[in-house]
Amino acid sequence: MRQLKTDRVGLTWQPQLAAAILAAGDRIDLVEVIPEGTFLESPRAHRALRRLGREMPVAIHGVSLGLASTIAVDQRRLAQFARLIDDVQPDCWSEHLAFVRAGGIELGHLAAPSRTATTIDAAALNIERAARATGAYPLVENVATIIDPPGSDLDEQTWLKRLLATSQADLLLDLHNLYANARNFGFSAADALRSLPPERIRIIHLAGGAPIRASTGDERWLDDHLHDVPDPIYALLEIVGETVPHAVDVVLERDGAFPPFGQLLDQLDRARAALARGRTRRVAA
Amino acid sequence: MSPAFESFLARLYVERPARERFLADPHGEAAAAGLTADEIAAAVEIDRVGLELAAASFAHKRRRQGRFAHPVVRLWREVAKRVR
Repeated sequence: MRQLKTDRVGLTWQPQLAAAILAAGDRIDLVEVIPEGTFLESPRAHRALRRLGREMPVAIHGVSLGLASTIAVDQRRLAQFARLIDDVQPDCWSEHLAFVRAGGIELGHLAAPSRTATTIDAAALNIERAARATGAYPLVENVATIIDPPGSDLDEQTWLKRLLATSQADLLLDLHNLYANARNFGFSAADALRSLPPERIRIIHLAGGAPIRASTGDERWLDDHLHDVPDPIYALLEIVGETVPHAVDVVLERDGAFPPFGQLLDQLDRARAALARGRTRRVAA
Repeated sequence: MSPAFESFLARLYVERPARERFLADPHGEAAAAGLTADEIAAAVEIDRVGLELAAASFAHKRRRQGRFAHPVVRLWREVAKRVR
């Protein structure tokens, strides 16, 4: 893993935002690309990403490998990732700690695994397979969940810490996922953040979400990437600035319901300011 | 969690009929899926609010993916649906 000299703040690449991102290059330090479909398979798309990488640092962010699964990660998908990474030479690549398919069923999204010793070992094995195939360890991301993962006998932080202790992969910490899980299952996101090993945190994700209601009237918080970053996430980012000893990348994820682009840039500025406040507290301590 | 338990969860998250059968008889459906005693107990104690919302969220995501798929892919999906 490369060491950054300074904190960087950027956002997820979206085709609808391409022109605005390139025009605002002086306020965007990096972009994160989700390489699904065409991006994953087409040599032309690989060349385009490589050209983008000459304009600004590019990180590759997978959503379909299903690393946190008791089922071995698909070798064909890994080979596609390996070709992409070889062609694009991104700053780094990452994938979620989720399962996305089982028994011939594609979930179409990320499902939190049962938090057990068995899934820690299985995820570590899949991470090793991914590292062998691509030549680089992925950063692994904590996922949001609106269902308490069935069959779990560990809490989320214990599961994450044990996985990091078992694997050489470092952490992409999604603060909104942490916040959503804390809201949904009644724990303190700040305490959970402070319990994670700060030296293993490399990238931060920011996002927004909204409440959803079940037929029983019960409410959960959904990580939907369609809303602005809520205030508590900036407070968590300050803790990151205070506790993480090295420079980090911060990426704003927005997948739709796009506001005027200036509003996204304002959120990047707010993230920079929150991180800087944390850094100041760290220096003062 | 075993691959069998993961497959069982995937089916509950994605397939409404399987979910309805499970909610009507959690123990029977989990046992019929060949799960271990611990897995059956975990299935019986499932977070039902979370299951309802997770299933809705997964369905929404799959619909969005379908909407944004390449037109040729969408066409083939439609053909496949009619052939089934």
